[in-house]
Amino acid sequence: MIRVEHLSKAYRRKVVVDDLSFSVEGGEAVALWGPNGAGKTTVIRCLLGLVGYEGLIEVGGVDARTHSKVTRGLIGYVPQELGFYGDLTVAETLALSSDLRGLPRTRIGEVIEAVSLEAEAGKRVSELSGGMRQRLGMAVALLPDPPVLLLDEPTSSLDVTARRRMVSLLDSLRGPERVLVITSHRVEEVGMLVDRVLALEAGHLVHECPPGELAGRLNLESWLHVVLPSEQTVTALAHLAAAGFDAHENGHGVLVGVSPEDKVSALGCLREGDFQIMDFEVWR
Amino acid sequence: MTATVTTPGFSTPRVFELRPVTVIARKVVREASRDRWFWLYCAGFAVLAGAITMTAVPDQNLIGSGGFGRTAASLVALVQLVVPLMALTLGARYLAGERDSGTLVFLLCHPVSRTEVLVGTYVGLAASMFAAVSTGFGAAGLFSALRSAPTDPVLLIRLAALSWLLSLAMLGLGLLISSTVKSASTALGMALFVWLAVVFLGDLGVMGTVVATRLPVGALFATVIINPVEAFRLASVVALDGSLDALGPAGTYAVDRFGDGIATIAVGVMVAWTVISGAVAVLAFRSGDQT
Amino acid sequence: MTGLRRAKTIPVLTALVAGLLALSAGPATAVGSEPGGLQTLIDVAEPGDVVKLEPGTYDGGITIDKPLTLVGQGWPVIDGHGEGSVITVVAPDVTIRGVVIANSGNRLDQENAGITSDLSPRIRIIENRFQNVLFGMFLRHAHDAEIRDNEIGGMDLFIARRGDGIRIWQSSGAVVEGNHVANGRDSVFWFADGITVRNNHVEDGRYGLHFMYSDGAVVEGNVLERNSVGAFLMYSTDLTMADNVFRSNRGPSGYGLGLKDVDGLAVSGNRFVENRVGLYADNSPSRVDLYHHLESNVFAFNNIGVLLGSTVARNIFTGNAFIDNGVQVASDSTGGLLDNEWSYRGVGNHWSDFAGFDADSDGIGDIAYEIDNLFTDLVERYPEIAFFTGTPAAQAVDMASQTFPSLRPEPILTDDSPLIRIPAIPPVPMPAEATSRVLVLLASLGLLLAALVVMAGGRFRLSEQLVTGGTP
Repeated sequence: MIRVEHLSKAYRRKVVVDDLSFSVEGGEAVALWGPNGAGKTTVIRCLLGLVGYEGLIEVGGVDARTHSKVTRGLIGYVPQELGFYGDLTVAETLALSSDLRGLPRTRIGEVIEAVSLEAEAGKRVSELSGGMRQRLGMAVALLPDPPVLLLDEPTSSLDVTARRRMVSLLDSLRGPERVLVITSHRVEEVGMLVDRVLALEAGHLVHECPPGELAGRLNLESWLHVVLPSEQTVTALAHLAAAGFDAHENGHGVLVGVSPEDKVSALGCLREGDFQIMDFEVWR
Repeated sequence: MTATVTTPGFSTPRVFELRPVTVIARKVVREASRDRWFWLYCAGFAVLAGAITMTAVPDQNLIGSGGFGRTAASLVALVQLVVPLMALTLGARYLAGERDSGTLVFLLCHPVSRTEVLVGTYVGLAASMFAAVSTGFGAAGLFSALRSAPTDPVLLIRLAALSWLLSLAMLGLGLLISSTVKSASTALGMALFVWLAVVFLGDLGVMGTVVATRLPVGALFATVIINPVEAFRLASVVALDGSLDALGPAGTYAVDRFGDGIATIAVGVMVAWTVISGAVAVLAFRSGDQT
Repeated sequence: MTGLRRAKTIPVLTALVAGLLALSAGPATAVGSEPGGLQTLIDVAEPGDVVKLEPGTYDGGITIDKPLTLVGQGWPVIDGHGEGSVITVVAPDVTIRGVVIANSGNRLDQENAGITSDLSPRIRIIENRFQNVLFGMFLRHAHDAEIRDNEIGGMDLFIARRGDGIRIWQSSGAVVEGNHVANGRDSVFWFADGITVRNNHVEDGRYGLHFMYSDGAVVEGNVLERNSVGAFLMYSTDLTMADNVFRSNRGPSGYGLGLKDVDGLAVSGNRFVENRVGLYADNSPSRVDLYHHLESNVFAFNNIGVLLGSTVARNIFTGNAFIDNGVQVASDSTGGLLDNEWSYRGVGNHWSDFAGFDADSDGIGDIAYEIDNLFTDLVERYPEIAFFTGTPAAQAVDMASQTFPSLRPEPILTDDSPLIRIPAIPPVPMPAEATSRVLVLLASLGLLLAALVVMAGGRFRLSEQLVTGGTP
C-alpha cells in the first residue's frame, strides 16, 4: 500500500531524512519510532506530499509527488498539532472537510459517532478540550474511510484516560486492507498497537522489527524520562553523554536509556551536575 | 463504522479544479465576515465615505445642485489610502495567519492542490473586498441620495469598480507576501511597508526626481502609472474629468500621446498587477515547503 | 425631428387649407408650401408686409431682401434639405418669428446656417426653433439685432466640426436674451459693441460665450454648463459679468470664465461651480491705471477656484466665497498673487479652509488667511509635479510643510480680513442638474445588496444536513 524508496529530505542544508526505504502492506500497522528530531513527522509530510522530497513514494501504487491530490485522497491524517478553524463547530469542521474532499455529507454523523463526539457536534472547536480536539482530528481523518491512516503522535498530548481511549479507538480501526502508520517516541505505546516498528534516528532507518524485539535490538530495557527546565536540557545531554549514558532530548526534558537494574544512576548523575529534576518517569 | 476498505477506483483529478476553489473561497469569505479588522475597515471606509458626502452637500440657494465632482474626488483620495491598506494587510495576514494557526495543514492534507488553496483564498478575499468597497460606495451614494445631493449613479459605480480592481492588485501583492514570509507578524510588517511604498514613497520619490533632474514628462508618466495606486487615481480622474488635462504638462503629454487610451492603460496596469502578483504568489506558494 | 417628419406627410392637405385661408385673409397673408413657394411669396410681398406661415413644410434656401415680417403659426417648418443656409437675410428690419428652421447644409467653410444675414440692422429673431443646423444664426452688420427666446440645437457632429449656435459679427447694440443653445460649438460675439447677453442657457458646447473685441457688453443671468469653456472674454473693455452660473465647464484647458486682455471689468454675483478652473485671468486688466472688482461671487467645488496668470495684478477680490475648491487660488507660475487685493476696505473673502478664529465675533477672522501650500508652490516651480495633484503624497507634502515651518513657502496670497461666514449673496435661478435621485438610490442600494449577497455567500450552509447523516 505504501512504498518508500531512497527518501531524502533536507530543510535548507539540514538533512532530516536520509535515504529511507520501507514499505507497508495492506492490513498492516506500523510505527515510526524514534526520539524527537529523528525525522518521523517529516516522513509523514512527505507521504502526504506536503513538502518536496527526493526519492520515490507510492501510495496505493500512485506516485505521491506527481499525483499528490490522488494520494492525499487515500490518506486520512491526524497531525500532532491540530489546526482547526476555532469559530467553526465540530459538525461544520467536518462539513468543510467533506466539501473539500467532494464527498457527500452523509458520513459526518457516522464519524462523529465513531469518535464519540455526539454531544459536542454543535460546539465550536475553540471550546473543545485537548482530548476532544484529538478525537475531532480522528473524525476528520476517518471521514473518507481511507485505506491509509497516518497518525502523528496521536497520544502525546493526552492524559492517561484519554490515551487509553485513543489506543482502543486506534485498535478498532485496524482492518484487513487498511494501513495504519503511527509515529511515536514511546516504546510502550508502540508495542500495543502495531505489527512492526521502524526505528528512526537522525533520519536513518536503524532498526526494523516486531515491537517485542525493539527493546532488545536497542539493548535497552527501559527509558528514563526526566523533566528538566528547558534551558538546562542541552547541558544535561552533554553531561549525561560524558558519563556514558545514551541520552536524547525529548519534550520537556531528556530521555535516557537505562538498564533495569540501575535506573537510579542516571538521576544521580544529573543530581551531581546540579540539574533541577522537576519530575521523572520510567518508560518501558 | 466499517473497517473494510475497498481500493477506490479513482480517476486522476486535475491539479486545478473549481470545486475546492469555491469551497475555500466561501470559507475565506466566512472568515472575513467574522474578522473584526475587516469590519473595522469596512465601517471606517463607509463612515468616511458617508461623511465626505454629507459635508459636501452645498447650500442650494448659493450654488444650486453642483458638487458631486469634488465629492467624488475626495472619495478617490480616500480610496487611495484605505483600499490598498485594507487589501494588502488582508492578503498578507490571511495565508500567514493560516500557517500560524495550523489550519493551512488542515487544508493541505485534503486532496486539494496548493494552487487551489491559493486561488480559493484569492477569490474569497476578492469577494470580501468587493463587499467592503460596495458598502463604502453604497453608503456614500445612499447619503447623497437621502440628502438630495447631486450624484451621478454611473460615476458612482465606475469608481466602485475601479476601487475593487485596485483592491485585487493589492490582494495579489498581499498574498505574494503571505506565501513567501514565515510568520503573520512579518507579513503584516511587509504589507505596511508596501503600502507606504505604493501610496507615499513611490510618488515622493518621483517628485524628488522631478525636482532634482527635471525628468521628461514621458518618463514621469510611465514611472507613475505603473504604480497600481496611481493607475487607479488616473483612471478615476479620467472617469471624473474625462481627461488628465488638469494634471499639468505630464497630463497634457498623456492626453496627446494616448488620448482616450489612458483609462485603458491604467486599467491594464491594475489587471497586470493582479495577474502577475497572483501568478507569482501561486508559484511561490507551490514551491514552498511552508505549511 | 419626429414632429418634422410628421409634418412632411401632409404637405398637400396643408397647402390646400392654407390656400383657402389665404383667399379669405386678405393680401398680406400668403401660402407657399409648394416647391419654391415660400421664395415666391417673399418675392411678391411688399416691403413692410407680414408674411404668415401656416403649419406645413416650406422649402428653405430662401433669401429675404426687403424689410419683412415672417411669422409662423403652429410651428411651420422651413426645411433647408441639407443644402446651404436655410434663410438668408440681406435687408434691414426683418423679423422672423415662430418658425422651425431645419436642416441646413453642413459645410463649415461655407458657414451654412439656419439664418445667415448681412447688412441687416434691427433684425429680430424671436421664438424660433433651430434644428439640425450647422450654425444657428450668423449675423453680420446687424446693429441693434434682437435675438430672443430661440431654441437652438446643433448637428450631431464632432465638436470641432460643428458650427456656432449664435455668431454675431460687427453688430453693435444687439440684445441676446432667453435663448437656449445646446450642442453647438461656440456662441461668438466679435466686434460687437454695447451688446446685452442675458438669461441665456448654453450647454454642451465648446465656448459657451466667446467675446472678441466687443466693448461695453453686459452679460448677466446666463447659465453656462458643461461647455469646454463657460465664457471667454478677449481683447474687450468695459464688461459687466453679473449673476451668471458657470457650472461643470471642464474641457481640456477649460475654464468657467476666462479673461484675456480685458480692461474695465466688473464681476459680481456669479456662481462658479465644479469647473476645472472657476475663473482664469491672463493680462487682465492690461492697463496699469485700472482695477477690476470681483465681488460677491461663489467659487465652489472647482479643481482650481481662481487661476491667475503670472503678471496679473490689480484685481480686487472682496466678499467672494471660496468653498472646497481642490486648490482655492493658484498662480500659473511662480511669483505669487500679491499684486492683487484679497480684501478691500476691511472686507475680505470667505475661505472654507480658513483655520483661524474670531474672538471678537465681528465676522472677520482675527488672523490673516494665507495660501502657502508647499505642494502648490512646488507645482508653480516644477509644473510637472501637478501630475500628483490629489495624491496622498501631495497631501503629505503639505502636511510636512505645515508641521515644519522651515519648509513653508512664502504665501502666494494674504487676505487680512477673511470672512468667517459665507457672505449673503442674492440667489440666482439655476436649473436642476440632470441627475435622478431615484437612480442614485437604486445604484446605492444595489451596491449594498451586492455586498450583503457576497457576505451571505460565505455562510456556506455548513449547518445543513449535518448530524442527520446515517447512523448504521
